[in-house]
Amino acid sequence: MAKILIIDDDPDIVESMRIILESCRHTVTVAISGEEGLKAAGAAGYDLIILDVMMETMSKGFEVARSLRESGANKAVPILLLTAIKESTGLDFEKEAGDKDWLPVDAYLEKPLKPNELLRKVESLLKGK
Amino acid sequence: MKDAAPAQPEGLAGSLYWLIRLRWFAVAGIFFTALFADRVLQVRLAYAPLYSIAAALGVYNFLSLLYLNRAKAAARPDLPDVMNRLANAQIPMDLLSLTALAHFSGGVENPFIYYFVFHMIIASILLSRRDCYLQATAAILLFLLLAGMEYSGLWAHYCVASSAAGCRRADILYLLGASAAFASTLYIAVYMGTSTALKLRGKEAGLRGAYLLLKEKDRIKSNYVLRVTHDVKEHLAAIQACLDPVLHGLTGGLTPGQESLIRRSYERTEKLTFFVKALLEITRIKLSRKMETGPFSLRKTAENAVNFVEERARRKNIKLTSSVMPGVDIVTGAQIYIEETVANFLANSIKYTPEGGSVELTIGDAGASVLIRVKDTGMGIPKDELPHIFEEFYRARNAKATERTGTGLGLSIAKEVAEKHNGRIWVESEEGKGSAFYFSLPKAAPAPALL
Repeated sequence: MAKILIIDDDPDIVESMRIILESCRHTVTVAISGEEGLKAAGAAGYDLIILDVMMETMSKGFEVARSLRESGANKAVPILLLTAIKESTGLDFEKEAGDKDWLPVDAYLEKPLKPNELLRKVESLLKGK
Repeated sequence: MKDAAPAQPEGLAGSLYWLIRLRWFAVAGIFFTALFADRVLQVRLAYAPLYSIAAALGVYNFLSLLYLNRAKAAARPDLPDVMNRLANAQIPMDLLSLTALAHFSGGVENPFIYYFVFHMIIASILLSRRDCYLQATAAILLFLLLAGMEYSGLWAHYCVASSAAGCRRADILYLLGASAAFASTLYIAVYMGTSTALKLRGKEAGLRGAYLLLKEKDRIKSNYVLRVTHDVKEHLAAIQACLDPVLHGLTGGLTPGQESLIRRSYERTEKLTFFVKALLEITRIKLSRKMETGPFSLRKTAENAVNFVEERARRKNIKLTSSVMPGVDIVTGAQIYIEETVANFLANSIKYTPEGGSVELTIGDAGASVLIRVKDTGMGIPKDELPHIFEEFYRARNAKATERTGTGLGLSIAKEVAEKHNGRIWVESEEGKGSAFYFSLPKAAPAPALL
């Protein structure tokens, strides 16, 4: 039972994640833009933030991740980054996720999401907290 | 009239080599003609200078060849200039040689004096129109010099006429007529030659322009495809994300009918995703000017590819073997794409080989390149379809009949990968017996792909 914040601008993907996570009794808050996500993150203490890397622009997700880290409240909250851009950009997230300065996230997951994979990642991030 | 532009630098180098080849024939021609005139016709000429000129021409030709090779190997940035200078210098050298030859074999009376026309034709091919007229003028001046010097007696005259009476060294009317005919012939030859060359170059430029335009249009098309497929893929991901929790019962139980329909929908989105990904991949390869390349172990790459398809082979009870020739290992290229190409060959062979068959991967050494071969005992490819199987979206009849789905893009991607590596890809197949796919991959890094 954790408080999870989803920041993603695709309402359909958000809805599917909400249903998956609520089925495991997590409390889910949804923000459908980077700004809304940052506002929401400032207010309540979340246990996990799920962030889509590609919102309006490609770099938006990275910016949001960095802002989250800079605000004191979320310094230690694990961030799970959703990506669908590996094939389009050739970015190797497995490699980049190690570079915390550039990409300050704890794990990443590639779209399309599989419910089981999402839950497994979420559980492991919550446990490691 | 517009000045004919000199030939393209690459073309000019080719022409210079051609000129050097021609000159070897000239050297041999002079030698044997002199020999024939001396021994058979027994014309009394100054043979020693003739042979010396032939020898000098040979030496000078050899040096030109050496210089050209050096300049090319050093890839000098001013190569076009070097070529142009070489072309502009060689023709006067040839004119001088021919004048010297003429002097020792009858002067302007030598019927072979008209060989100057050949130099004008060569100049028309190699040089700009202005330079051609300069060369023609130089040849005419040499002609006049020769006639004048021999007429005045300052230079010796070696007569080629059968009798001394036939010698027209001092026949002023003859000399004037011969000079006029010679000069007009040369100028007319240059005019005709350069006009033809100009026309051909104009056509060449037109074709080149059309080719570049097509390339550019193709690039725009690929960019468009990239955008569209990317959008399609995003919507597909959302559809899958929504169907998935339902299928997993996270929204409550499903009736068997509901489950069946949703599963089918889901499977179709998966196939569509696979197709879209393949389309994205081939488009991206086409758009990339060059690939990121580096040295990697082909042995390890082949192993990865085999591991990737092993399970599939096992399920169909297909014997999957691989062998890499000793000594073959490190090559330079885009490792990921090479691995994918090999895996693609293997997966294809496994897909179209009936249960109990065999698929064999061999990698051999072929000097500057390695030869990757995947051979199977599958259904083979109908002969009339062989030329098409590397075309985008093409699937052979019997392949479609066996496996309904397939993108028809796998082999096109492989072909693009091969081409980006300056390699070659081809297939040998006999329907009902099996197929062998070949990929010849250069060991060294490919040069950056040109537009």
